[in-house]
Amino acid sequence: MRSVRPARIILSLLIWPLLAAGAGAPADLDPAWTALTNSRPQDVLRLLRRDASARAERLAWAAGRIGAQPASDASMREAEAVLAELAPGPDEIAAEAAYLRARIYQMHLSEPDFPKAAQQYAELAARRPQSHWAQLGLVKLGLLKLYLLPDSTDPAADRLAPAEALLPRISEPLLRRDLDLQIGQAGIVLHQPLARYLPHLIAAEQVGGITGTAGEDLIVQIGVLSERGGDWARAREYFERYLANYPTNVRAFTIRQKLEAVNRRLAQEGGA
Amino acid sequence: MRRLRARLGLGLLVAAFTASVYWVFTRSEPVIRHREVTIYFAHWQIERGPPDGINAAIKRYEELNPRVHVVQLQIPGATIYPQWMRSNLAGDTGPDLMEWGAWLPGEKDIPARYFAPLTAELAKPNPYNRGTSQEKIPWQDTFHDKLLAPKRDSPDPGQIYAVNITEVTLRLFCNVELMKEVLGRVVVPRNFDDLRKILAAVKEFSRKTGRPISGLAGSRDTTRAVAEAVFVAPLIGVAQRLDDAGMLYLYNRQMLAAYLAGRWRYREPAVLAGLQLVREATNAMKPGFIQLRRDDAMIEFLRGQALFFFYGTWDATSLRRLAPFKIQPMKLMQAMPDDPEVGRFVVGQGGEGIGETSLSMYLNKASRHPAEALDFLKFLTSVPGNQLFTDASLWLPAVNGVVVPEEIRNFRDYQEGLSVGQAPYDALGTEVSTGWDRNFYHLTGDQGSAEQFAAAMDAAMPAAMRMDLNAEMRATLVLVKPQDPVIAGWAGLAGEKAKTRREEAEASQTMSEGLALQMQLQLAKTKPAP
Repeated sequence: MRSVRPARIILSLLIWPLLAAGAGAPADLDPAWTALTNSRPQDVLRLLRRDASARAERLAWAAGRIGAQPASDASMREAEAVLAELAPGPDEIAAEAAYLRARIYQMHLSEPDFPKAAQQYAELAARRPQSHWAQLGLVKLGLLKLYLLPDSTDPAADRLAPAEALLPRISEPLLRRDLDLQIGQAGIVLHQPLARYLPHLIAAEQVGGITGTAGEDLIVQIGVLSERGGDWARAREYFERYLANYPTNVRAFTIRQKLEAVNRRLAQEGGA
Repeated sequence: MRRLRARLGLGLLVAAFTASVYWVFTRSEPVIRHREVTIYFAHWQIERGPPDGINAAIKRYEELNPRVHVVQLQIPGATIYPQWMRSNLAGDTGPDLMEWGAWLPGEKDIPARYFAPLTAELAKPNPYNRGTSQEKIPWQDTFHDKLLAPKRDSPDPGQIYAVNITEVTLRLFCNVELMKEVLGRVVVPRNFDDLRKILAAVKEFSRKTGRPISGLAGSRDTTRAVAEAVFVAPLIGVAQRLDDAGMLYLYNRQMLAAYLAGRWRYREPAVLAGLQLVREATNAMKPGFIQLRRDDAMIEFLRGQALFFFYGTWDATSLRRLAPFKIQPMKLMQAMPDDPEVGRFVVGQGGEGIGETSLSMYLNKASRHPAEALDFLKFLTSVPGNQLFTDASLWLPAVNGVVVPEEIRNFRDYQEGLSVGQAPYDALGTEVSTGWDRNFYHLTGDQGSAEQFAAAMDAAMPAAMRMDLNAEMRATLVLVKPQDPVIAGWAGLAGEKAKTRREEAEASQTMSEGLALQMQLQLAKTKPAP
């Protein structure tokens, strides 16, 4: 027992500066974080104070303010003011605050300010490139570049290219997957050549973990688009995977027909 | 005198108290509830069958879970349910579990606003399947179609919000005795041309005998079902032409965007051919059918005044219990490439799919007892729970491993073939659907024609399609915005589960955001000049 007591003192001394700086014990905020996950942001505003000393508490309050209804520009400005105070710090709370601030400009104001949101995502990525929130911000920046921000140099420019340029900066595989998927789907909607967008869809699918109908659609898409591009082997691979995973889907009949056709092509070319 | 009054008053008080005690203990709700938790299960399937099936499952569930009481709320559909649902959800008084359908007009935003996603739970085995053929299989994969409709109708392509209780399809219910009277034998149509000939024979029989008999029982509701079934065949080629994404399936948002971009029109030959088929089918209904509802058509059929009643297998139990004649369910076969009228526009056999599960139940985000509500859903969609439902309702099960009763086994005899997409071209959204109904008179009767109807639709649809695509986009955004605080919440919590849920929420949000931006772009590109 005697040996434990000094250790406790030392531990307390180590923790004290953190507490003083307002890091707070994570367990204290669990009800607030849980309320946010349950889409009950109004509970967070009841539980927490805007001017709390703990940075994490203020962050949770701001997240609650963003989600609470009725939402208005005034409530978003309130949230943004708190996030702006938190954003310059050196920790993940600061990075998350900067990310949420950009989200307010992109999604939550009645008149979104896309260039400002893009600028904040870019600044966050420059300042804290390995932070999860900076990485997620790069995905959102990619979406802005694909659909909303005008190309500064050439109006006829390839809209995929600016988003593609962000990919090497995203080191988290799941986030990179998400941007790859978005570039691939945007390529279809923007009527880009197949060779421009299909590799992105394949890259996204290979990471895996895409749930719901999106994952199922993607397997069909890669099979069909590969067939259209004359890549019979890849088409066969994805058609077979689809039939193995979704044999009762309404598309299975067509895919069986396509698989037969692809197998015939492969046999003709000696690739079977 | 004063003492008498006091005694009288005391006597009255005792009498009132005794009467109250009697009332409380004999007439009203028990003072002390025996079960700690009550969950409410609301749906509109008040036909014969489902309420019995759900009651059977509830009875067994309550035996297994003595602390939980499940109350089945049967709310009439059509006009009442949507209003009832929205007002209760908005007032935070909604039941724990609720039925919802993507086709309910003006209710597209409901799942995103009020329901909780079940994706994470669906990835795990259903504990009530222990000891059955579905043990250890992820809950999602125990459904016959792996939850096709909840995936397709999800406002968020990465999430699944519902589980299904039953499986339905559309069938031509035939009055066997009447068919023998008209044709001398039972003839099962093998394609649309066979049906065309049967309907012509009924018309001739009615003319000769003077009996008011129609080929098809008619109503506004059943007409939509007939139209959607026969309209499809010539549209398969159109859908293939528009399938840029290579999904072999077109979502409503894609059809709407393609229309706005001028890539298809109702007046184009293949669509006109489909409309011609709808006209042929509805001409076999009695005049004025468009003013009638489903129940009117059912009565017409049950009175022996129509050879066929075409609607969902959800009406089969009611028909069997009410009809004084033998009923044979048949498939309404689509037109084939050799069809003498429209064959040149048909690229192949249209399919019914391989059974689509239905009666989608959603978990209210504001449920007071989400764990118990989810647990009851798991029981109802387990092999033993769904078996109880199936046996008592005579509706098809949604779950693999359930034994299908002999009486309904042939409902699963599906026609395989090519598919079109999420909805036929009459129901791409609320406004399109309303426009279809409003202009339908141009298609039917002596004065109507496919060309007239197509012209009316093409005049009205640019605005309607724009409104519907805009509504789709707004419904998607409704889902995107609230995810920011949800993601922050998962990020704040420690542990692997929270990390996984954060990652899922981030991926789903990005996918939905991408879809909303696609729709925004398509709306902007096709915006009419002021």
